[in-house]
Amino acid sequence: MRRKGSGIHKNVDNPPSLGYREILIVAFRNLSRHRVKTVTTTLGVAVSVALYIFMDAWLLGMNLDSKRNIVSYEIGAAKIQTQAYFEKKDDLPMYESFTDWKPLVEVLEKAGYAAAPRMVFTGTLYARSGSAPIVFHGVDPEKESRVLRYRNYMEVGRFPDKGTYEIALGLLAAEKLKLDIPRRITEEELLRLIEDTARTPEEGAFIRRLYENSDNRQKDLTRDRAPLSQEKLSYFLRKDLPRSDLDRYWELLLSSGRNDVRISTVIDIKEETGKIRHVYQVMEAKVVGIVNSPNPKTNGNVAFMPLDVLSGEEGLLLEDRVTEILVRAAGAKDSDLPGPEETPEAIEGVLNRAGVPLPSPLRVYGWQEYVKDYIVAARGDNITTRVMILLLFILSFLGIANTMLMAILERTKEIGMMRALGMTDGELILSFMIEAGMIGLMGGVAGMILGSLANIPMVNHGIDYSTMARELSGDFGYRITALFRSAWNPGTIIGSGIVATLVSALLSIPPTLRALRIPVTESLRFE
Amino acid sequence: MTVVEAQNLVKDYSTNGLTVPALRGISLSFERGEFAAIVGPSGSGKSTFLHLVGCLDVLTSGEIRIEGTDISTLSQKELAFLRRQKIGFIFQAYNLIPVLTALENVSFPLTLLGVDRKEAKRMAEVALATVGLEGMGNRKPKEMSGGQQQRVAIARALVKQPSLVLADEPTANLDSKTGSEILELMLSLNRTHGTTFLFSTHDKMVMEYARRLVYLRDGIVEGEERR
Repeated sequence: MRRKGSGIHKNVDNPPSLGYREILIVAFRNLSRHRVKTVTTTLGVAVSVALYIFMDAWLLGMNLDSKRNIVSYEIGAAKIQTQAYFEKKDDLPMYESFTDWKPLVEVLEKAGYAAAPRMVFTGTLYARSGSAPIVFHGVDPEKESRVLRYRNYMEVGRFPDKGTYEIALGLLAAEKLKLDIPRRITEEELLRLIEDTARTPEEGAFIRRLYENSDNRQKDLTRDRAPLSQEKLSYFLRKDLPRSDLDRYWELLLSSGRNDVRISTVIDIKEETGKIRHVYQVMEAKVVGIVNSPNPKTNGNVAFMPLDVLSGEEGLLLEDRVTEILVRAAGAKDSDLPGPEETPEAIEGVLNRAGVPLPSPLRVYGWQEYVKDYIVAARGDNITTRVMILLLFILSFLGIANTMLMAILERTKEIGMMRALGMTDGELILSFMIEAGMIGLMGGVAGMILGSLANIPMVNHGIDYSTMARELSGDFGYRITALFRSAWNPGTIIGSGIVATLVSALLSIPPTLRALRIPVTESLRFE
Repeated sequence: MTVVEAQNLVKDYSTNGLTVPALRGISLSFERGEFAAIVGPSGSGKSTFLHLVGCLDVLTSGEIRIEGTDISTLSQKELAFLRRQKIGFIFQAYNLIPVLTALENVSFPLTLLGVDRKEAKRMAEVALATVGLEGMGNRKPKEMSGGQQQRVAIARALVKQPSLVLADEPTANLDSKTGSEILELMLSLNRTHGTTFLFSTHDKMVMEYARRLVYLRDGIVEGEERR
């Protein structure tokens, strides 16, 4: 052993730097000492990270879709309402309406916004089969379609025309009142429907052709199932029907008077004294279309009808009063959330600059002000899910802590020897942190890969839960009707891997400190 | 040159409220190139003395100087650096790192000293060849005999050319033939490199190799013999 060229430092006050490569080698090889334990712990971390990534992507996707659906089908970017209406908005107080909305709409349209006036009121819709409480939206069909897109999602029929007492009804209300196209019908009902609807034998045969017998259908379902007498009489609307057949069938149903309905409502009028006067009103109308948009709020007990017919004495005696104006940037894409130019401040600024400031009772309110139910549901789900995943994380990190505790305890003598060789406490802590961090890193990377792989079908296809949604009346806070789709969140994917690595590394510190509290001489005697 | 200078060393251990004296005022010094054995029965204080000189334990009173540095003035971190640079240890149970190869075990102290990886490998290969383990660098400790492992431990202690090598009963786990081989090796290295060896033992065969014997009993120096 020659001293020449050794390069060894001999100055206690100015210590040399540690060879981190060797520390890394030692840490990595120590992981292979107990492969089963290392693999099990790594898998635990991987599953936790993967689940976190998966759930986060799912929540993010649901929230993104919900927000887009709220803006595109329910509210727009903002609403202009009287402060009094906004404060009592859950009661739909139609007496807190306002006039002189036309100059506001005009200015906004000139400034590149779409603005749609609305009168929202409640009433009862009477059909032949029964009645249901409905929230009615008196809308300007043209302006409304520039702000909201639900008109593009007519399940059947069309949107009401201006100047008519026509109604577009939410799908669930239409099903309840039997105002949609019957999907399942008994033989007796089918015969009666043909008799009421068909004006010629050809039309009768046409309607008959639209349905298939339940026996045929059962044969497809199962060969051994014993047919039930009730089901034998059932007919189902064929699933492979072209749109043209459905449209013709719908027109036949309309012309039969089956969809003629009556609206019963109470008009609340606020007198100048502040007293509210109630006027009972009945209107005859016709359901000409069924709405089934991606936002369940448009598909429930909701109806849309032209605003202009509500103004007169046969309507709601509105005298050009509306309860709200919906605002959105003109030409905004369905996938876009409102931008900075669509904030209440920006919209008010546009009106002020145009010399048409909002009259004192009116305010602009952002879309978030109207979706507290969604925000509560989303926040609740967010917290619940994250708490569950956190518990899972804690479990897997306890696994790491246990693995490291066992490893450090087992190597107490080795730690004593390393300290004797001159390793400082800091270097030893770092060495064990690297070892535990490697478990976290391997688990984190595996979890990132697993979570991302699980996300691919969820992002591209999602889960169709439309059956469950119908049973929940399609409304449970989230504004999604059929597909739960995830969304990529690179921050979470990378962040969870980093957190897993860091937390794992940090978890090695307490057992290492415990081992370092043992005097070197005792560590060397440890068996 | 004096490598170790111990003045009036006192070391007491406290167990369950009882104070047990391990060393009761020992004064010894060792010059560069000495090959000395601390001899005594179990409980005489020889391991305690080595631990104190090796900066692994704390004195109750007295003073130790390693190459003139009073170790009582150093912090824990400075003591670690002192051990890293100036002291080599050979343990009774070899205490090699089981996941590293013989070569990596020997080069490990050099990496702690910041020696370049290639240079550390070269030096470790030379050290292994010196202890008769040429070509066995890739073996892990469990693939080696006790004697081979102790040779690796000796190479590890000497590779950084320390001022002092402390060996606590280095042959206790070895058969007599291997034990004498190890002692021959240590003696040869002492002669070649002038490294100070200080070891504890109660084995008569080991004593025969030592050129200075310090007899301890009940924590005091009972006698001394130079050859």
